[in-house]
Amino acid sequence: MTASRAALAVALLVLPPAIGLPAYYLHLLATALVLATLASAWSVLAWGGQISFGQAAFFGVGAYAAALAAINGVASWAALTLGAAAGAATGALMSAAALRLRGAPLALATLAFAEIGRGIALNWERLTGGGAGIVGIPPLPGAASSPRAAAYYTALLLLAVTLSAFTWMKGSRMGLALAAVREDEERASLLGVNPAVWKVAAFLLSGGLTGAAGGLYAHMVRVVEPDLVFSSWYSLAPLIMATLGGSRTPLGPAAAAVGLYLASELVLQPLAPALHQVGYALSLIAAVLFLPAGLGGLPGRRRRATP
Amino acid sequence: MPLLEGQGLCVDYGRVRALQGIDIEIEEGQVVGLLGPNGSGKTTLLNVLGGLVVPTAGGVRVDGALVTGKAPWAFSRLGIGRTFQVPRPFAGLTVLESVLVGVTFRKRRKFFRAADRRREGERLLAVVGLDAKAGACSSELSFGQMKRLELAIALSARPRILLLDELASGLSPQGRGEVLQFYGRLRERGIAIVAVEHSVSTLASVADRLILLNGGVIAAQGAAAEMLASPRIGEAYLGGPDE
Repeated sequence: MTASRAALAVALLVLPPAIGLPAYYLHLLATALVLATLASAWSVLAWGGQISFGQAAFFGVGAYAAALAAINGVASWAALTLGAAAGAATGALMSAAALRLRGAPLALATLAFAEIGRGIALNWERLTGGGAGIVGIPPLPGAASSPRAAAYYTALLLLAVTLSAFTWMKGSRMGLALAAVREDEERASLLGVNPAVWKVAAFLLSGGLTGAAGGLYAHMVRVVEPDLVFSSWYSLAPLIMATLGGSRTPLGPAAAAVGLYLASELVLQPLAPALHQVGYALSLIAAVLFLPAGLGGLPGRRRRATP
Repeated sequence: MPLLEGQGLCVDYGRVRALQGIDIEIEEGQVVGLLGPNGSGKTTLLNVLGGLVVPTAGGVRVDGALVTGKAPWAFSRLGIGRTFQVPRPFAGLTVLESVLVGVTFRKRRKFFRAADRRREGERLLAVVGLDAKAGACSSELSFGQMKRLELAIALSARPRILLLDELASGLSPQGRGEVLQFYGRLRERGIAIVAVEHSVSTLASVADRLILLNGGVIAAQGAAAEMLASPRIGEAYLGGPDE
Protein backbone atom coordinates (compact mmCIF):
# COMPACT_ATOMS: atom_id res chain seq x y z
CA MET A 1 0.00 0.00 0.00
CA THR A 2 1.43 3.36 -1.02
CA ALA A 3 1.69 6.23 1.43
CA SER A 4 -1.08 8.17 -0.33
CA ARG A 5 -3.45 5.19 -0.17
CA ALA A 6 -2.65 4.67 3.49
CA ALA A 7 -3.32 8.36 4.19
CA LEU A 8 -6.65 8.12 2.34
CA ALA A 9 -7.61 5.01 4.32
CA VAL A 10 -6.79 6.72 7.63
CA ALA A 11 -8.73 9.83 6.59
CA LEU A 12 -11.79 7.74 5.70
CA LEU A 13 -11.62 5.85 8.98
CA VAL A 14 -11.27 9.01 11.06
CA LEU A 15 -14.03 10.83 9.18
CA PRO A 16 -17.37 9.26 10.33
CA PRO A 17 -17.70 11.04 13.71
CA ALA A 18 -16.34 14.28 12.27
CA ILE A 19 -19.05 14.57 9.62
CA GLY A 20 -21.79 14.26 12.18
CA LEU A 21 -22.96 10.75 11.37
CA PRO A 22 -26.06 9.89 13.46
CA ALA A 23 -25.36 8.10 16.73
CA TYR A 24 -26.99 4.88 15.55
CA TYR A 25 -24.67 4.54 12.57
CA LEU A 26 -21.63 5.42 14.67
CA HIS A 27 -22.63 2.67 17.08
CA LEU A 28 -22.95 0.22 14.18
CA LEU A 29 -19.51 1.19 12.90
CA ALA A 30 -17.95 0.90 16.36
CA THR A 31 -19.52 -2.54 16.81
CA ALA A 32 -18.21 -3.56 13.39
CA LEU A 33 -14.71 -2.50 14.49
CA VAL A 34 -15.06 -4.50 17.71
CA LEU A 35 -16.04 -7.55 15.65
CA ALA A 36 -13.07 -6.89 13.34
CA THR A 37 -10.83 -6.96 16.40
CA LEU A 38 -12.38 -10.26 17.50
CA ALA A 39 -11.88 -11.81 14.05
CA SER A 40 -8.23 -10.71 13.92
CA ALA A 41 -7.60 -11.96 17.47
CA TRP A 42 -9.19 -15.32 16.53
CA SER A 43 -6.73 -15.47 13.62
CA VAL A 44 -3.80 -15.30 16.06
CA LEU A 45 -4.85 -18.70 17.37
CA ALA A 46 -5.69 -20.04 13.91
CA TRP A 47 -2.19 -19.09 12.75
CA GLY A 48 -0.90 -21.84 15.02
CA GLY A 49 -3.58 -24.28 13.88
CA GLN A 50 -5.66 -23.81 17.02
CA ILE A 51 -9.33 -23.45 16.17
CA SER A 52 -11.27 -21.77 18.95
CA PHE A 53 -15.02 -22.00 19.43
CA GLY A 54 -14.73 -20.20 22.73
CA GLN A 55 -13.66 -16.60 22.13
CA ALA A 56 -16.76 -15.55 24.08
CA ALA A 57 -14.89 -16.68 27.21
CA PHE A 58 -12.22 -13.98 26.70
CA PHE A 59 -14.79 -11.42 25.57
CA GLY A 60 -17.10 -12.04 28.53
CA VAL A 61 -14.37 -12.14 31.15
CA GLY A 62 -12.84 -8.97 29.71
CA ALA A 63 -16.24 -7.25 29.71
CA TYR A 64 -16.96 -8.20 33.33
CA ALA A 65 -13.47 -7.26 34.54
CA ALA A 66 -13.67 -3.84 32.89
CA ALA A 67 -17.26 -3.30 34.07
CA LEU A 68 -16.47 -4.20 37.69
CA ALA A 69 -13.42 -1.94 37.65
CA ALA A 70 -15.30 0.94 36.04
CA ILE A 71 -18.25 0.92 38.46
CA ASN A 72 -15.77 0.95 41.32
CA GLY A 73 -14.25 4.19 40.08
CA VAL A 74 -11.29 2.89 38.08
CA ALA A 75 -10.48 5.10 35.07
CA SER A 76 -11.75 3.76 31.77
CA TRP A 77 -8.32 3.25 30.23
CA ALA A 78 -7.25 1.24 33.28
CA ALA A 79 -10.52 -0.70 33.16
CA LEU A 80 -9.84 -1.61 29.52
CA THR A 81 -6.31 -2.70 30.47
CA LEU A 82 -7.78 -4.85 33.24
CA GLY A 83 -10.18 -6.35 30.69
CA ALA A 84 -7.22 -7.24 28.49
CA ALA A 85 -5.34 -8.74 31.44
CA ALA A 86 -8.39 -10.79 32.46
CA GLY A 87 -8.81 -12.02 28.88
CA ALA A 88 -5.13 -12.98 28.75
CA ALA A 89 -5.41 -14.82 32.07
CA THR A 90 -8.40 -16.74 30.72
CA GLY A 91 -6.28 -17.52 27.66
CA ALA A 92 -3.57 -18.92 29.92
CA LEU A 93 -6.15 -21.16 31.61
CA MET A 94 -7.57 -22.31 28.29
CA SER A 95 -4.09 -23.06 26.96
CA ALA A 96 -3.73 -25.69 29.66
CA ALA A 97 -6.26 -27.68 27.65
CA ALA A 98 -4.67 -26.65 24.36
CA LEU A 99 -1.39 -28.32 25.28
CA ARG A 100 -3.09 -31.70 25.38
CA LEU A 101 -5.71 -31.33 22.64
CA ARG A 102 -5.75 -30.60 18.92
CA GLY A 103 -8.35 -30.17 16.21
CA ALA A 104 -12.00 -30.85 17.05
CA PRO A 105 -11.41 -31.85 20.71
CA LEU A 106 -9.58 -28.57 21.30
CA ALA A 107 -12.38 -26.60 19.63
CA LEU A 108 -14.95 -28.30 21.88
CA ALA A 109 -12.85 -27.64 24.98
CA THR A 110 -12.73 -23.93 24.14
CA LEU A 111 -16.49 -23.96 23.67
CA ALA A 112 -16.84 -25.49 27.12
CA PHE A 113 -14.72 -22.70 28.59
CA ALA A 114 -17.12 -20.07 27.26
CA GLU A 115 -20.07 -21.94 28.76
CA ILE A 116 -18.28 -22.25 32.10
CA GLY A 117 -17.69 -18.50 32.04
CA ARG A 118 -21.37 -17.85 31.39
CA GLY A 119 -22.33 -20.22 34.19
CA ILE A 120 -20.03 -18.52 36.67
CA ALA A 121 -21.28 -15.05 35.69
CA LEU A 122 -24.85 -16.26 36.09
CA ASN A 123 -24.36 -17.86 39.49
CA TRP A 124 -21.77 -15.73 41.28
CA GLU A 125 -24.37 -13.10 42.04
CA ARG A 126 -22.44 -11.19 44.71
CA LEU A 127 -19.73 -10.34 42.22
CA THR A 128 -21.50 -10.27 38.86
CA GLY A 129 -25.08 -9.44 39.71
CA GLY A 130 -26.21 -12.80 38.35
CA GLY A 131 -28.68 -12.79 35.49
CA ALA A 132 -29.42 -9.07 36.00
CA GLY A 133 -25.77 -8.30 35.25
CA ILE A 134 -24.02 -5.01 35.94
CA VAL A 135 -25.58 -1.72 34.91
CA GLY A 136 -24.46 1.89 35.08
CA ILE A 137 -21.02 1.42 33.56
CA PRO A 138 -19.68 4.92 32.90
CA PRO A 139 -19.09 6.02 29.31
CA LEU A 140 -15.62 6.47 27.90
CA PRO A 141 -13.69 9.58 29.03
CA GLY A 142 -14.23 12.89 27.28
CA ALA A 143 -17.36 11.49 25.76
CA ALA A 144 -20.04 13.47 27.54
CA SER A 145 -21.00 15.31 24.36
CA SER A 146 -20.49 12.39 21.99
CA PRO A 147 -20.22 8.98 23.66
CA ARG A 148 -20.53 7.19 20.32
CA ALA A 149 -17.61 9.11 18.84
CA ALA A 150 -15.35 8.16 21.75
CA ALA A 151 -16.38 4.51 21.41
CA TYR A 152 -15.74 4.63 17.68
CA TYR A 153 -12.25 6.07 18.02
CA THR A 154 -11.35 3.67 20.84
CA ALA A 155 -12.58 0.73 18.74
CA LEU A 156 -10.52 2.02 15.81
CA LEU A 157 -7.44 2.29 18.03
CA LEU A 158 -7.94 -1.21 19.44
CA LEU A 159 -8.32 -2.63 15.94
CA ALA A 160 -5.10 -0.86 14.87
CA VAL A 161 -3.30 -2.38 17.87
CA THR A 162 -4.71 -5.82 17.06
CA LEU A 163 -3.74 -5.66 13.39
CA SER A 164 -0.25 -4.44 14.33
CA ALA A 165 0.11 -7.28 16.84
CA PHE A 166 -1.01 -9.86 14.29
CA THR A 167 1.31 -8.49 11.60
CA TRP A 168 4.21 -8.36 14.06
CA MET A 169 3.50 -11.91 15.23
CA LYS A 170 3.45 -13.31 11.69
CA GLY A 171 6.92 -11.94 10.98
CA SER A 172 8.42 -12.85 14.34
CA ARG A 173 9.97 -16.00 15.85
CA MET A 174 6.58 -16.62 17.42
CA GLY A 175 4.87 -16.57 14.03
CA LEU A 176 7.40 -18.94 12.50
CA ALA A 177 7.16 -21.34 15.43
CA LEU A 178 3.35 -21.35 15.36
CA ALA A 179 3.27 -21.81 11.58
CA ALA A 180 5.63 -24.77 11.89
CA VAL A 181 3.53 -26.24 14.72
CA ARG A 182 0.41 -25.76 12.60
CA GLU A 183 1.94 -27.62 9.67
CA ASP A 184 3.63 -30.46 11.57
CA GLU A 185 3.96 -30.18 15.34
CA GLU A 186 6.21 -33.21 15.69
CA ARG A 187 8.57 -32.02 12.98
CA ALA A 188 8.69 -28.53 14.46
CA SER A 189 9.54 -30.04 17.83
CA LEU A 190 12.40 -32.01 16.26
CA LEU A 191 13.87 -28.69 15.13
CA GLY A 192 14.03 -27.17 18.60
CA VAL A 193 10.58 -25.55 18.74
CA ASN A 194 8.87 -26.03 22.10
CA PRO A 195 5.22 -26.10 20.96
CA ALA A 196 3.80 -25.57 24.46
CA VAL A 197 5.50 -22.20 24.92
CA TRP A 198 4.20 -20.78 21.65
CA LYS A 199 0.69 -22.16 22.03
CA VAL A 200 0.41 -20.52 25.44
CA ALA A 201 1.75 -17.28 23.95
CA ALA A 202 -0.90 -17.39 21.21
CA PHE A 203 -3.67 -17.91 23.77
CA LEU A 204 -2.34 -15.04 25.89
CA LEU A 205 -2.23 -12.68 22.91
CA SER A 206 -5.60 -13.70 21.49
CA GLY A 207 -7.21 -13.70 24.93
CA GLY A 208 -5.75 -10.30 25.82
CA LEU A 209 -6.92 -8.61 22.62
CA THR A 210 -10.37 -10.17 22.83
CA GLY A 211 -10.62 -9.28 26.52
CA ALA A 212 -9.83 -5.65 25.71
CA ALA A 213 -12.57 -5.71 23.07
CA GLY A 214 -14.96 -7.10 25.69
CA GLY A 215 -14.00 -4.27 28.05
CA LEU A 216 -14.61 -1.71 25.33
CA TYR A 217 -17.97 -3.25 24.49
CA ALA A 218 -19.00 -3.01 28.15
CA HIS A 219 -18.27 0.72 28.01
CA MET A 220 -20.19 1.03 24.73
CA VAL A 221 -23.41 -0.63 25.85
CA ARG A 222 -22.90 0.31 29.54
CA VAL A 223 -24.36 -2.97 30.73
CA VAL A 224 -23.02 -6.53 30.95
CA GLU A 225 -25.13 -9.67 31.34
CA PRO A 226 -24.08 -13.31 31.11
CA ASP A 227 -26.25 -14.01 28.07
CA LEU A 228 -25.03 -10.86 26.37
CA VAL A 229 -21.23 -10.97 26.69
CA PHE A 230 -20.79 -14.75 26.94
CA SER A 231 -23.15 -15.26 23.99
CA SER A 232 -22.04 -17.88 21.46
CA TRP A 233 -22.29 -15.05 18.92
CA TYR A 234 -18.91 -13.77 20.15
CA SER A 235 -17.42 -17.22 19.55
CA LEU A 236 -19.00 -17.89 16.17
CA ALA A 237 -18.83 -14.43 14.59
CA PRO A 238 -15.00 -14.19 14.69
CA LEU A 239 -14.70 -17.73 13.32
CA ILE A 240 -17.08 -17.00 10.42
CA MET A 241 -15.60 -13.59 9.64
CA ALA A 242 -11.97 -14.73 9.75
CA THR A 243 -12.72 -17.83 7.66
CA LEU A 244 -14.43 -15.71 5.01
CA GLY A 245 -11.73 -13.04 5.03
CA GLY A 246 -8.80 -15.45 5.12
CA SER A 247 -7.36 -15.97 8.59
CA ARG A 248 -3.76 -15.92 7.38
CA THR A 249 -3.98 -12.48 5.83
CA PRO A 250 -3.54 -9.39 8.01
CA LEU A 251 -6.55 -7.41 6.75
CA GLY A 252 -8.84 -10.20 5.51
CA PRO A 253 -10.58 -11.08 8.81
CA ALA A 254 -11.10 -7.43 9.77
CA ALA A 255 -12.42 -6.46 6.32
CA ALA A 256 -14.77 -9.46 6.24
CA ALA A 257 -16.04 -8.61 9.75
CA VAL A 258 -16.86 -5.03 8.84
CA GLY A 259 -18.37 -6.00 5.48
CA LEU A 260 -20.47 -8.88 6.80
CA TYR A 261 -21.77 -7.04 9.85
CA LEU A 262 -22.69 -3.86 8.02
CA ALA A 263 -24.29 -5.81 5.15
CA SER A 264 -26.29 -7.79 7.66
CA GLU A 265 -27.43 -4.78 9.68
CA LEU A 266 -27.92 -2.21 6.93
CA VAL A 267 -29.06 -4.35 3.99
CA LEU A 268 -30.45 -7.71 5.14
CA GLN A 269 -32.04 -6.50 8.37
CA PRO A 270 -34.39 -3.98 6.66
CA LEU A 271 -35.17 -6.41 3.85
CA ALA A 272 -35.75 -9.60 5.85
CA PRO A 273 -35.51 -9.00 9.60
CA ALA A 274 -36.12 -12.64 10.50
CA LEU A 275 -33.50 -13.94 8.12
CA HIS A 276 -30.80 -11.30 8.33
CA GLN A 277 -28.35 -13.62 10.10
CA VAL A 278 -28.60 -16.21 7.34
CA GLY A 279 -25.89 -14.22 5.56
CA TYR A 280 -23.33 -15.36 8.13
CA ALA A 281 -24.19 -19.02 7.66
CA LEU A 282 -24.15 -18.77 3.88
CA SER A 283 -20.82 -16.92 3.99
CA LEU A 284 -19.25 -19.66 6.10
CA ILE A 285 -20.56 -22.41 3.83
CA ALA A 286 -19.36 -20.56 0.72
CA ALA A 287 -15.92 -19.93 2.23
CA VAL A 288 -15.47 -23.55 3.27
CA LEU A 289 -16.59 -24.89 -0.11
CA PHE A 290 -15.06 -22.41 -2.53
CA LEU A 291 -12.53 -20.24 -0.72
CA PRO A 292 -10.33 -22.38 1.54
CA ALA A 293 -7.91 -19.46 1.94
CA GLY A 294 -10.73 -16.93 2.24
CA LEU A 295 -11.21 -13.76 0.24
CA GLY A 296 -7.77 -12.58 1.33
CA GLY A 297 -6.24 -15.64 -0.30
CA LEU A 298 -7.70 -14.85 -3.73
CA PRO A 299 -4.83 -12.68 -5.04
CA GLY A 300 -2.27 -15.42 -4.29
CA ARG A 301 -4.53 -18.01 -5.91
CA ARG A 302 -4.84 -15.91 -9.06
CA ARG A 303 -1.06 -15.39 -9.18
CA ARG A 304 -0.48 -19.14 -8.94
CA ALA A 305 -3.01 -19.83 -11.68
CA THR A 306 -1.12 -17.49 -14.02
CA PRO A 307 2.29 -18.94 -14.92
CA MET B 1 32.71 -41.20 25.82
CA PRO B 2 30.29 -41.88 22.94
CA LEU B 3 28.41 -38.92 21.50
CA LEU B 4 25.15 -40.87 21.42
CA GLU B 5 24.46 -44.08 23.24
CA GLY B 6 21.53 -46.43 23.59
CA GLN B 7 21.58 -49.01 26.37
CA GLY B 8 19.22 -51.98 26.58
CA LEU B 9 16.61 -50.26 24.42
CA CYS B 10 13.24 -51.99 24.34
CA VAL B 11 10.10 -50.72 22.63
CA ASP B 12 6.71 -52.41 22.81
CA TYR B 13 3.79 -51.51 20.57
CA GLY B 14 1.01 -53.30 22.39
CA ARG B 15 1.95 -56.96 22.23
CA VAL B 16 4.53 -56.41 19.53
CA ARG B 17 8.08 -55.98 20.78
CA ALA B 18 9.74 -53.75 18.17
CA LEU B 19 13.11 -53.50 19.94
CA GLN B 20 14.53 -56.02 22.39
CA GLY B 21 17.50 -54.80 24.36
CA ILE B 22 19.47 -52.89 21.73
CA ASP B 23 22.89 -51.51 22.73
CA ILE B 24 24.39 -48.99 20.35
CA GLU B 25 27.17 -46.39 20.53
CA ILE B 26 27.94 -43.64 18.04
CA GLU B 27 31.24 -41.80 18.26
CA GLU B 28 31.93 -38.32 16.95
CA GLY B 29 32.19 -38.23 13.15
CA GLN B 30 31.30 -41.90 12.82
CA VAL B 31 28.88 -43.22 10.18
CA VAL B 32 26.83 -46.19 11.35
CA GLY B 33 24.56 -48.02 8.90
CA LEU B 34 21.46 -49.92 10.00
CA LEU B 35 20.46 -52.90 7.89
CA GLY B 36 17.62 -55.35 8.17
CA PRO B 37 14.41 -56.55 6.59
CA ASN B 38 11.14 -54.64 6.86
CA GLY B 39 9.86 -54.62 10.43
CA SER B 40 13.24 -55.36 11.91
CA GLY B 41 13.14 -52.19 14.06
CA LYS B 42 15.40 -49.81 12.12
CA THR B 43 13.02 -46.83 12.05
CA THR B 44 11.90 -47.51 15.63
CA LEU B 45 15.54 -47.36 16.72
CA LEU B 46 15.95 -44.00 14.94
CA ASN B 47 12.76 -42.79 16.63
CA VAL B 48 14.12 -43.73 20.04
CA LEU B 49 17.55 -42.20 19.43
CA GLY B 50 15.90 -38.99 18.15
CA GLY B 51 13.49 -38.62 21.07
CA LEU B 52 10.30 -39.31 19.14
CA VAL B 53 9.59 -42.56 20.95
CA VAL B 54 10.28 -43.13 24.64
CA PRO B 55 11.66 -46.65 25.11
CA THR B 56 9.71 -49.09 27.24
CA ALA B 57 13.00 -50.01 28.89
CA GLY B 58 16.58 -48.88 28.55
CA GLY B 59 18.07 -45.43 28.20
CA VAL B 60 19.50 -42.95 25.70
CA ARG B 61 22.55 -40.89 26.60
CA VAL B 62 23.98 -37.85 24.81
CA ASP B 63 27.53 -36.92 25.88
CA GLY B 64 27.07 -39.38 28.74
CA ALA B 65 23.99 -37.64 30.14
CA LEU B 66 20.74 -39.57 30.37
CA VAL B 67 18.11 -37.91 28.13
CA THR B 68 15.43 -40.63 28.03
CA GLY B 69 11.93 -39.16 28.23
CA LYS B 70 12.95 -35.62 27.30
CA ALA B 71 10.84 -33.82 24.70
CA PRO B 72 11.92 -34.01 21.03
CA TRP B 73 12.84 -30.31 21.07
CA ALA B 74 15.30 -31.01 23.88
CA PHE B 75 16.91 -33.75 21.76
CA SER B 76 17.20 -31.25 18.92
CA ARG B 77 18.93 -28.73 21.16
CA LEU B 78 21.36 -31.41 22.23
CA GLY B 79 22.38 -31.64 18.58
CA ILE B 80 20.36 -34.55 17.23
CA GLY B 81 18.79 -34.09 13.79
CA ARG B 82 16.50 -36.33 11.82
CA THR B 83 15.16 -36.99 8.32
CA PHE B 84 12.15 -39.12 7.44
CA GLN B 85 11.79 -41.86 4.85
CA VAL B 86 8.70 -40.13 3.45
CA PRO B 87 9.60 -36.43 3.28
CA ARG B 88 7.77 -34.25 5.76
CA PRO B 89 8.19 -30.70 4.53
CA PHE B 90 6.14 -27.96 6.20
CA ALA B 91 3.54 -28.06 3.45
CA GLY B 92 2.11 -24.58 3.99
CA LEU B 93 5.50 -22.86 4.32
CA THR B 94 7.91 -21.82 1.62
CA VAL B 95 11.11 -23.75 1.10
CA LEU B 96 13.13 -20.99 2.79
CA GLU B 97 10.71 -20.73 5.73
CA SER B 98 10.98 -24.50 6.22
CA VAL B 99 14.72 -24.28 6.85
CA LEU B 100 14.38 -21.08 8.86
CA VAL B 101 12.51 -23.03 11.57
CA GLY B 102 15.63 -24.97 12.54
CA VAL B 103 17.94 -21.99 11.95
CA THR B 104 15.83 -19.86 14.29
CA PHE B 105 15.34 -22.34 17.11
CA ARG B 106 18.63 -24.17 17.23
CA LYS B 107 20.74 -23.87 20.31
CA ARG B 108 24.23 -23.77 18.93
CA ARG B 109 25.56 -20.80 16.93
CA LYS B 110 22.36 -18.84 17.05
CA PHE B 111 21.60 -16.01 14.69
CA PHE B 112 19.88 -13.14 16.43
CA ARG B 113 19.21 -10.91 13.42
CA ALA B 114 16.52 -11.88 10.93
CA ALA B 115 18.81 -10.98 8.03
CA ASP B 116 21.51 -13.35 9.35
CA ARG B 117 19.00 -16.15 9.76
CA ARG B 118 17.76 -15.62 6.24
CA ARG B 119 21.33 -15.69 4.90
CA GLU B 120 22.01 -18.93 6.76
CA GLY B 121 18.77 -20.43 5.38
CA GLU B 122 19.74 -19.46 1.84
CA ARG B 123 23.20 -20.96 2.37
CA LEU B 124 21.67 -24.26 3.47
CA LEU B 125 19.40 -24.31 0.43
CA ALA B 126 22.41 -23.71 -1.78
CA VAL B 127 24.15 -26.69 -0.15
CA VAL B 128 21.33 -28.99 -1.30
CA GLY B 129 20.81 -27.19 -4.63
CA LEU B 130 17.44 -25.68 -3.80
CA ASP B 131 18.44 -22.01 -3.69
CA ALA B 132 16.39 -21.28 -6.81
CA LYS B 133 13.30 -22.69 -5.07
CA ALA B 134 13.56 -20.61 -1.89
CA GLY B 135 10.26 -18.83 -2.46
CA ALA B 136 8.32 -21.88 -3.68
CA CYS B 137 5.75 -23.61 -1.51
CA SER B 138 7.32 -26.74 0.02
CA SER B 139 4.42 -28.92 -1.07
CA GLU B 140 4.96 -27.98 -4.70
CA LEU B 141 8.43 -29.56 -4.94
CA SER B 142 9.12 -32.77 -6.84
CA PHE B 143 9.87 -35.91 -4.78
CA GLY B 144 13.60 -35.58 -5.38
CA GLN B 145 13.54 -31.93 -4.37
CA MET B 146 11.57 -32.82 -1.24
CA LYS B 147 14.30 -35.29 -0.31
CA ARG B 148 16.87 -32.50 -0.65
CA LEU B 149 14.69 -30.20 1.43
CA GLU B 150 14.36 -32.97 4.00
CA LEU B 151 18.14 -32.95 4.41
CA ALA B 152 18.31 -29.15 4.49
CA ILE B 153 15.63 -29.05 7.20
CA ALA B 154 17.55 -31.58 9.27
CA LEU B 155 20.77 -29.60 8.83
CA SER B 156 19.06 -26.32 9.71
CA ALA B 157 19.17 -27.13 13.44
CA ARG B 158 22.97 -27.61 13.11
CA PRO B 159 23.05 -31.19 14.37
CA ARG B 160 26.11 -33.04 15.66
CA ILE B 161 24.37 -36.34 14.99
CA LEU B 162 22.10 -36.98 12.03
CA LEU B 163 19.60 -39.82 11.92
CA LEU B 164 18.92 -40.41 8.23
CA ASP B 165 16.00 -42.64 7.29
CA GLU B 166 16.37 -43.89 3.71
CA LEU B 167 17.60 -40.62 2.30
CA ALA B 168 18.43 -42.26 -1.06
CA SER B 169 15.30 -44.35 -1.46
CA GLY B 170 12.97 -43.51 -4.33
CA LEU B 171 15.63 -41.43 -6.08
CA SER B 172 17.02 -41.87 -9.58
CA PRO B 173 20.55 -43.30 -9.93
CA GLN B 174 21.77 -39.72 -10.34
CA GLY B 175 19.90 -38.68 -7.21
CA ARG B 176 21.41 -41.60 -5.27
CA GLY B 177 24.85 -40.51 -6.44
CA GLU B 178 24.20 -37.04 -5.09
CA VAL B 179 23.09 -38.50 -1.77
CA LEU B 180 26.39 -40.38 -1.59
CA GLN B 181 28.20 -37.10 -2.11
CA PHE B 182 26.13 -35.55 0.69
CA TYR B 183 27.18 -38.37 3.02
CA GLY B 184 30.81 -37.58 2.17
CA ARG B 185 30.35 -33.87 2.82
CA LEU B 186 28.57 -34.47 6.13
CA ARG B 187 31.37 -36.77 7.22
CA GLU B 188 33.94 -34.10 6.31
CA ARG B 189 32.08 -31.69 8.59
CA GLY B 190 32.45 -34.15 11.45
CA ILE B 191 28.76 -34.91 11.76
CA ALA B 192 28.07 -38.37 13.16
CA ILE B 193 25.46 -40.28 11.19
CA VAL B 194 23.14 -43.18 11.86
CA ALA B 195 21.72 -44.13 8.48
CA VAL B 196 19.06 -46.53 7.30
CA GLU B 197 19.20 -47.25 3.57
CA HIS B 198 17.37 -49.78 1.48
CA SER B 199 20.39 -50.16 -0.77
CA VAL B 200 23.09 -52.13 1.01
CA SER B 201 25.72 -50.97 -1.47
CA THR B 202 24.87 -47.34 -0.69
CA LEU B 203 25.25 -48.00 3.02
CA ALA B 204 28.41 -50.03 2.67
CA SER B 205 30.07 -47.28 0.65
CA VAL B 206 29.53 -44.63 3.31
CA ALA B 207 29.39 -46.44 6.66
CA ASP B 208 32.28 -47.19 9.02
CA ARG B 209 30.20 -49.81 10.77
CA LEU B 210 27.11 -51.79 9.84
CA ILE B 211 24.55 -53.10 12.29
CA LEU B 212 22.14 -55.77 11.15
CA LEU B 213 18.78 -55.77 12.92
CA ASN B 214 16.30 -58.61 12.77
CA GLY B 215 13.18 -59.02 14.89
CA GLY B 216 14.18 -56.10 17.08
CA VAL B 217 17.58 -57.49 18.06
CA ILE B 218 21.08 -56.93 16.72
CA ALA B 219 21.76 -60.02 14.60
CA ALA B 220 25.28 -59.01 13.60
CA GLN B 221 27.53 -55.96 13.50
CA GLY B 222 31.00 -55.03 12.38
CA ALA B 223 33.08 -53.06 9.90
CA ALA B 224 31.27 -52.47 6.60
CA ALA B 225 33.66 -54.52 4.46
CA GLU B 226 33.68 -57.37 6.95
CA MET B 227 29.88 -57.44 7.12
CA LEU B 228 29.44 -57.42 3.36
CA ALA B 229 31.83 -60.34 3.00
CA SER B 230 29.83 -62.51 5.32
CA PRO B 231 27.78 -64.94 3.23
CA ARG B 232 25.61 -65.90 6.22
CA ILE B 233 24.28 -62.38 6.58
CA GLY B 234 23.68 -61.91 2.88
CA GLU B 235 21.77 -65.14 2.57
CA ALA B 236 19.81 -64.91 5.78
CA TYR B 237 18.65 -61.33 5.66
CA LEU B 238 19.42 -59.64 2.39
CA GLY B 239 18.45 -62.27 -0.14
CA GLY B 240 21.77 -62.25 -1.95
CA PRO B 241 24.11 -59.54 -3.17
CA ASP B 242 22.73 -56.08 -3.67
CA GLU B 243 21.99 -55.13 -7.25
